[in-house]
Amino acid sequence: MRTTSFKSRAFALVSTTALLATLVVVAPANAAATGPTCDGKTPVQTCTGTTSDGAAYKMVIPATFNGTAMIWSHGFGGNTTIPGVFAVDSTAQLGPNFDGETGGNAAVVKYITDKGVAIMGSGFSTQGWNLDEAVKANAELVGIFKAKFTTTTKVVAWGYSMGGGITQAFAEQHPELLSAAAVINPVDAWNAQAKYFVDLLWLMKTWFDPSIKLSGYAPGAAGDMQMLGDVVKYTAVLKALQAGIATGAWPTTSSKSALALQAGGIPSRSALLMIGRLTGISTQSTSFDGIAGPPGAAATAWPLAYAPALATLENISELLGRALLGARDMEAKMGGVWIDNQTTDYSKQLSDEDRTVYNAGLSGNSAITAMLSTLNPLNPDAPRIKGEAAAMAKNASTHYQSTGKIKVPTVMMIGQHDPVEPAGIVQRISDLYEADFAAAKTAARKAGKDVPARNLQVLWSVTPKTWSKFNADGTPVTLVKTPGTTHTNFTASQYKLVIDTALSAAENGYLPWNGAHLSKVYKAKGLDIDRGTSYPWMKYYTK
Amino acid sequence: MIRTTRRKFLVASAVMAATALSLSVMPAQAISPRSEVGVTSTAIKLGITLPMKGSASFGYNQLPGAMKAYFDYVNANGGVNGRKISLVVKDDGYLPKQAIQNTQDLIAKDKVMAVIGALGTANNKAVASAVNLGRRGIPSLFINTGFSGFNDRKAFPTSSTILPSYIMEAKMIGKYVKDTFPGKKVCLLYQDDDFGDDALVGFDKAHGNLDFAVKVAYPSLSQGVAGVPDSWITKFKAGGCEVQIVFGVASATLYTILAAVKAQYAPKWILGSVGADIGSINPATVPYIIGATSMSFLPSVVDPKDEYVTQFKEINTKYNVGAKFNSWALIGMNTAFIAVQALKAAGKNPTRKSLLAAIDASGSKFPNAALVPLNYSQTSNVGLNGYWFGTFNKTGDLVPNDTFSYTVYTTDSGTGPVDKSSYSRPAMPAKGLPN
Repeated sequence: MRTTSFKSRAFALVSTTALLATLVVVAPANAAATGPTCDGKTPVQTCTGTTSDGAAYKMVIPATFNGTAMIWSHGFGGNTTIPGVFAVDSTAQLGPNFDGETGGNAAVVKYITDKGVAIMGSGFSTQGWNLDEAVKANAELVGIFKAKFTTTTKVVAWGYSMGGGITQAFAEQHPELLSAAAVINPVDAWNAQAKYFVDLLWLMKTWFDPSIKLSGYAPGAAGDMQMLGDVVKYTAVLKALQAGIATGAWPTTSSKSALALQAGGIPSRSALLMIGRLTGISTQSTSFDGIAGPPGAAATAWPLAYAPALATLENISELLGRALLGARDMEAKMGGVWIDNQTTDYSKQLSDEDRTVYNAGLSGNSAITAMLSTLNPLNPDAPRIKGEAAAMAKNASTHYQSTGKIKVPTVMMIGQHDPVEPAGIVQRISDLYEADFAAAKTAARKAGKDVPARNLQVLWSVTPKTWSKFNADGTPVTLVKTPGTTHTNFTASQYKLVIDTALSAAENGYLPWNGAHLSKVYKAKGLDIDRGTSYPWMKYYTK
Repeated sequence: MIRTTRRKFLVASAVMAATALSLSVMPAQAISPRSEVGVTSTAIKLGITLPMKGSASFGYNQLPGAMKAYFDYVNANGGVNGRKISLVVKDDGYLPKQAIQNTQDLIAKDKVMAVIGALGTANNKAVASAVNLGRRGIPSLFINTGFSGFNDRKAFPTSSTILPSYIMEAKMIGKYVKDTFPGKKVCLLYQDDDFGDDALVGFDKAHGNLDFAVKVAYPSLSQGVAGVPDSWITKFKAGGCEVQIVFGVASATLYTILAAVKAQYAPKWILGSVGADIGSINPATVPYIIGATSMSFLPSVVDPKDEYVTQFKEINTKYNVGAKFNSWALIGMNTAFIAVQALKAAGKNPTRKSLLAAIDASGSKFPNAALVPLNYSQTSNVGLNGYWFGTFNKTGDLVPNDTFSYTVYTTDSGTGPVDKSSYSRPAMPAKGLPN
């Protein structure tokens, strides 16, 4: 983890640039598959082509190819073209990228090919929420690869973020194509992920700047500009919230209802924390652990009253751009307003546990009641989003909703406090699997058969015990990439462990659980196989 | 290849047959005692997480020392079925995130059999959920809170509380105030969270039925903000309050009393059990609470004739060297005393499961210093169920009267009446060692 001065990076938590950093421009779709065209080089040859939907793909095949291939699915990319602002990146990806990289980290790719394992990956024909298109492209790509390299015996799917969800969906829909899967900080099923995005965006708009448009954008470039306008407004809100953390001041753009809350003595940090609790954003972030406080009288009060709000703000800053781009992209794809929160009861989204644990940060029960009352559907100052029937129907029928069922040996890896893909996504899959596994064991025992092997291994990327730091004057220090926090924050060693685990599962038909493997997990650092910890599921689910 | 001679085979067969015969007449537990986490043939390891440092630690940080002292005393007298008890203590600063971390460590690294005496509603709610105590079958016993929600056996199947519920406490305060100060203007300061919610239930029409001239809710932590306690006192004075109930944590009581002194506000103080003992935080405040009413379920720590107090005081002197024997020491030692009985009741080879079952089955019969019974059963996670009322004397100790005779009240968390208790406390086992 790196440290910088909180003061010198006063706006490091929040910047328009950061919110827009995920924007890329999608490549136009082609009409027919091409390739693969291979360069025939040794020791590793590269093949390229496009799938039938125009997605560019790439394959690297070592001369020592042992019959096993991995297929990578990349993460979320904005699907909005803004000429002169963002560069197109629809190129094929072969593995995870670290900061500033594209195409897949070369060392990780080499690690795989050195084992005699081939890799393939697509750029996908469309970006944004592209799960259905990506699964089809992946299935086609596996077929292309096998047709070209006929000694192929095993295929392992892997991917992160959006690609993690694609990998999970791919394994659910095409287990016959795969021997194992490695699912890294996956998106949840669309309904759950969409609710996460929309709740955050709507709550921020409703309290802090009702002039934000959020839905009903104009088609095409005009809508892109409207969305950019929203980005600017959200950024201003986040900056105002950051400035008001200590004083409790609300953004001047806040709604009348919100300003009434301010007049009632409720600080904006409590509203910020409330938004985090209603959406399910972690209260621990790269800079704020909710444990350490500045030395002195505030040592206890600071982690209770300020840290959860600051962590929420830091996490929202990382999430909000993706959420807005995802929502806008889906509106374009669905041809209208697909969001509808007219019947959402936000008061029910505050868990009993959160009401207790964050009570001080939320300024007590009376403040909680007051804040939730402003979100009442009958409050004209908090207008709900009314969806357009055709777009809503299309949204409801178009997307594959991932079931979370494990059908091939699967290793998962996720950060405890990933703000974009909360740990609860994997928690749900794990919980569902544990129930299935317990039933399968019982059934096997009843039938006098061998107990089945456990087909899911979750590697939790964990934080240090405490990590918040403070300057001599008591101000917090901004930290970067604290393990277990931020989105897709993994090391090369951790990726290599995931690769080894998945390849071992593909080779043997079951996941490794022996001492040697556990030793590898330990040596990869920062990972924990722990079925004891529990993270809340996404708010979409009622559990 | 392994070769076995016929003679060796016969001998082996005979041994196996004899073993099988002997096993068939032995209880299963004795044949193959399951190795339980935190339990060896010579030791039992327990853990606790609570604030040991920081602003929330006052008083509570004395609990582990007293608990350890009692365990050491038991260990010096043979332990529990030959096993010596150890207590791993972790400081959570009263922060939920740290309590979660600590509990994870107690379970995974220290490998304790059970957590006992952990402090706080928020911390224990967070822990029960994040650490999954229920699903994993890990006991968290005798939690130091009166939050009634922990009696939800479905949500907290392996947790139990030791204090009477805050609902019970409010009901009893209601009766006491109505009986003692009829016609007086009564006012309430309460914490605006689960703690206060329970109090409001206990005071409402269906329960304690106590009306207030002025009610002020304070958000947790606001008591430390300059000027805020003064604003409470302004409201109470304006309301003409004659009896002032404070249902808050110790720091809220402290700042309230100090603000009242400054404003020359001198009502009859009724201090809830949680936050009454401000003399231990700031001895300078003792003069301000002399004559204030509060309540306890344990005998007065200065009771010269109580056999439990006498025994625990002796143990404290020998095994908690240098530590004052005060109400915190008494609470800590009594908790350890109950824990030892639970471990004994859990069988010769105790497991987490048998420990929980033992408390359900016989926890209500465990002798202890409290003047009201424990209520553990298959349907109740709640410990004690009553209080006696007393006043703070010149040394800041709560006493019932000059003769140390107690009038103890008991009730439930529902709408049952508040009655004088007829409970007859079991005698202290010989030498303070449970049978």
